[in-house]
Amino acid sequence: MEQKLRQEAKALLEQNKVDWIIGFEPGSLKFTATPLITRDKNDTERLIISPFMVNNLADFLTGIEGRVGIVAKGCDSRSIVSLIQDNKLARENVVILGVPCPGLIDLAKIERLVGKDRDELDDITREGDKVAVKVEGKKKEFAAPQVLFDHCLACELPTPQEYDILLGEPRPPAPELEFSGQNIAKLIETPPAERWEFWKNEFSRCIRCYACRNACPACFCQRCFVEETEPQWVMPVPRWQDNLIFQIVRNIHVAGRCTDCGECERVCPVNIPLRSLTREMYSIVDELFQFKSGMDKEALPLMAHYEQEEAEDLFR
Amino acid sequence: MTQQSDWKPKLLGFLCRWCSYAGADLAGTSRKKYPANIRVIKVPCSSRVDSLFILKALRLGFDGVLVSGCHPGDCHYLTGNYRARRRIAITKKFLEYLGVEPERLQASWVSASEGGKFAEVVTEVTGGLKEVGPNQLFSERKLDGTKAKAGS
Repeated sequence: MEQKLRQEAKALLEQNKVDWIIGFEPGSLKFTATPLITRDKNDTERLIISPFMVNNLADFLTGIEGRVGIVAKGCDSRSIVSLIQDNKLARENVVILGVPCPGLIDLAKIERLVGKDRDELDDITREGDKVAVKVEGKKKEFAAPQVLFDHCLACELPTPQEYDILLGEPRPPAPELEFSGQNIAKLIETPPAERWEFWKNEFSRCIRCYACRNACPACFCQRCFVEETEPQWVMPVPRWQDNLIFQIVRNIHVAGRCTDCGECERVCPVNIPLRSLTREMYSIVDELFQFKSGMDKEALPLMAHYEQEEAEDLFR
Repeated sequence: MTQQSDWKPKLLGFLCRWCSYAGADLAGTSRKKYPANIRVIKVPCSSRVDSLFILKALRLGFDGVLVSGCHPGDCHYLTGNYRARRRIAITKKFLEYLGVEPERLQASWVSASEGGKFAEVVTEVTGGLKEVGPNQLFSERKLDGTKAKAGS
């Protein structure tokens, strides 16, 4: 599969079908992959497909000029479709190299299960439904759902729906929704005042690094409301009140674009459970307007469309 | 606790320039009685109201926010209130999920001829706010008041 990817990417550049290739190359640390953005055909030899290619590459599309060939997992392809819906990207300017994704491995989960730091592990391999970890010469096996990212467990589209070249066999979606909805179900059961207290505590840790915003392919504003100074909507000082307002409003602004890809939660340096916000927003949008982000490139964006009769029970 | 008895809810109203604002005017000229707890901001259209305005109002200490516009189908800009409806609906649901009392964000359709309805809406919304009490969402104080008890 990797060989085919390299060939295809090289051919795209050689035949001048694209100006750029965006994909993954091995990271400098063990068990990592890092984004590779190149216009040199020799660099395509470094392209890889691995269970550690965690980034949502669609994020780079809004910052690049010219035609792009992009490696896309199911979730990335949804973000790309969402950008096409919003006219941020022309379909003909992007060549999607689709990768059916069996789910990405969460190193933090493996560390917790094995009780060792990632540097002390010898090897991690995916074998069908199992993930084998080699540590100190011994091999330990885990069921895949134990060590995959939470957002991968909720994945509704492992195989890209929108692609030009598909690498490998399509995979059927198998979302373990019960598992992925656990955190939200627990929150909804608690009384509202306690829920608010929960978020207060979580966001008192926030350092407002804006990693969530910068990693988000749906957050493509040239100028974010948090940086406006006249009026200054939120203070730049990371106090929980302003942190919380930032995240609430960010979630509302990306509603209908957010595909629940989990990037915000993955990049958060203080581990705020941001997917418990995005996932709920995703369900609210689906429930009220029967809209799933990034599924159909012909569909109008959520906020650019309306029906005559909807959500009337919320209005006096 | 003495403050509690003097407390009156503060309601911020975003009223659409074409319908609800004129409706509020009519309520005044036809001498309808409604609580004086509402402060009004005139907006060109209900779709001008970003969820950021609502959060900012709550952050500044307003106890509730009312967004009011033309009835669906009557928008001066044809489709503004349909868009507002989508945005307010998700904002309302999302804030409820976070733990904000649903009474704090209310929305209504009031036309320029519905002075009576405007008075009713403000009365009801203010009543709802009196029930849920002062907005302490963004205050530093603990919600359950355990700290205050330990001190006294």
